[in-house]
Amino acid sequence: MAGKPARTVNAIDQTRRMLSLVTYLRERPGARIADVARAFGISEDELVADLDLLPMCGTSFRGGDLLDIDTDGERIWWHNPAALGEEAAEPLRLAADEATALLVAARAVSTLPGLREGDRQALLRATAKVETAAGEAAGASSRLSVTFESEGGVFADVDRAISERRRLWIRYYSPARDEVTEREIDPIRLVSVGHTYVEAWCRRSEARRTFRLDRVAEIRILDEPSAPPEIELRDLSEGLVQPAAEDPEVVVEVGPGGRWVAEYYPHDSADELPDGGLRITLRTPDPASLRRLALRLGPDGRIVSPPDLAESARRAAREALAAYDGPVGAVPGAGGGRSERSA
Amino acid sequence: MAIAKAERLMNLALCLLGTRRPLSKRELRDSIEAYVEAVRPVNGAAGSEDSFNRMFERDKDDLRELGLVIETVENLDGEVGYLARRDSNRLPPITLDAEEAAALGLAAKVWQQARLAGAASGALQKLRAAGLPDGVDPYEAHGALEPRIPVHEAAFEPLMLACRDRRPVLFDYRKASAARPEPRHVEPWALECWRGHWYLAGFDRDRGAERVFRLSRITGRVRSRGTGFTAPVPDVVTVRETVASWAGEIADRSALIRLRSGAGYPLRAKATEVRELGDGWDELEIPYGHGLDAWLVEFGPDVVVLEPAELRADVVDRLRAVAKG
Repeated sequence: MAGKPARTVNAIDQTRRMLSLVTYLRERPGARIADVARAFGISEDELVADLDLLPMCGTSFRGGDLLDIDTDGERIWWHNPAALGEEAAEPLRLAADEATALLVAARAVSTLPGLREGDRQALLRATAKVETAAGEAAGASSRLSVTFESEGGVFADVDRAISERRRLWIRYYSPARDEVTEREIDPIRLVSVGHTYVEAWCRRSEARRTFRLDRVAEIRILDEPSAPPEIELRDLSEGLVQPAAEDPEVVVEVGPGGRWVAEYYPHDSADELPDGGLRITLRTPDPASLRRLALRLGPDGRIVSPPDLAESARRAAREALAAYDGPVGAVPGAGGGRSERSA
Repeated sequence: MAIAKAERLMNLALCLLGTRRPLSKRELRDSIEAYVEAVRPVNGAAGSEDSFNRMFERDKDDLRELGLVIETVENLDGEVGYLARRDSNRLPPITLDAEEAAALGLAAKVWQQARLAGAASGALQKLRAAGLPDGVDPYEAHGALEPRIPVHEAAFEPLMLACRDRRPVLFDYRKASAARPEPRHVEPWALECWRGHWYLAGFDRDRGAERVFRLSRITGRVRSRGTGFTAPVPDVVTVRETVASWAGEIADRSALIRLRSGAGYPLRAKATEVRELGDGWDELEIPYGHGLDAWLVEFGPDVVVLEPAELRADVVDRLRAVAKG
């Protein structure tokens, strides 16, 4: 019965919705299906399913006073609104989970740097009113909180460029290459999943790219209009990094101190090793970008394959170590050392 | 065909809301088709009083989850009756303008976790029934802003409920660098999402102190352990500060490094001072917190640590480990 919990949740959500729906419809004879579905944030099919069910419901005693609600496919008609007594027709107070879900989300969104000031003020006012109306139910909402990453200025510029449909110039840092590059992008949307990203059409690579706002070193809104090609927006809820099947495979072995790799890198498999470590297999379009990871792991792990990646990490480490041979501050290729500074 | 659960719950809710006097279990059972069916044997299958009783108890719990306050009243004959009083179930008057409605509409969409997404839309629907204007979403026009709260951790929902109900829990937890998970008895205080990851703060009974746990490191199921907290819940729970100190973002010292010109942009962004040396290298002063050594090693031969000696030694150790392969 693997599907059972999901069905239970749906029945609860549907009941909750229908209780609000009857109060709402009672005030609005002949309401349009399309309008009601939009107001309730559901599809027209979901609404029609509710409307099919409501005539089986009533306030008491079988068959006596069922709700006589029907629809001609466009409008909703309720022939006996009095069947729902005054008592049952009142808007219902918020449940603890409802207050928590709405208030926590509202508080999180109100800290988003890109929110227009007017909207932020509106949200803060609404939050205060909902807190008051929720009463005791609002109490538990302090036990949950969400902070969005905030890259204020960059966010505001990207948001403005999207709404004015203008191209952006950015200097962007790629950790994989440890370099900052300049590019022009046509922004499509802002996504906040932990960090905040802009999904855009990159004019330099003529491809869809996702840029993390905290890696934007500099930004300017250009006069040129933004003209991204029509592309299908991906569902990003499963993560922004979605390696392709044809990407080369990298195998990393880590000790207990390197297990975090499995938390940060999407991977195909992570097999337990006898010492408490993991053997992680992942795919990336650009294995060279993982040299950083090999260096970072230090004693906590190593690249097993491809061998040239493992060798490039060893070479980089040897090269770096050379700078520490000899007196403090003797930097290869540098004219002087520590003595230059008047300490 | 069995009667849909939503229909049964809806009928029970309407009966309890519509009545002015407490309704006995028997009255409810005889009023609601689904209960009549539960008691009546169908095609030889045993309908029974027992299955009705279980169903009825579950249904009341479900309605309470929706926020319904159901009172249990005993009448003079000792018979138990139920009702949902108007006073205790009515949403207090609330007036929101179109702008406020639109802002709440945006907020209600951010949850990606089924239970909270359902609860947030439920809240909005209740407000809609109470007269919340059907405003147009100001962001729908250009669709620019899409804040999402990710919840991928299975431990989230049971911990959320345990925090809400202040119930102690037991779970297996694998510390960042531990080979094997260990059972932890925790009085859960609060959950916080930071940089896309969820953390739990609570009182660790085994260690007798406050601890912060990362949900992705909880292995296996979260189990309830009895009722009641033994330690006081602090007024302010500081999850973020604890996590920031793990991440080395709380620095109390500074370090001096050499960085190749053009390389290491994030180090430059953090630097409190940058001096161009003019020989292809720059000298930077950067905050020195936990984990800086591992981070500096990422830049390979483009970084040389000058001070302090301790950091220099740590970096050299790490580089040696990598060079050995």
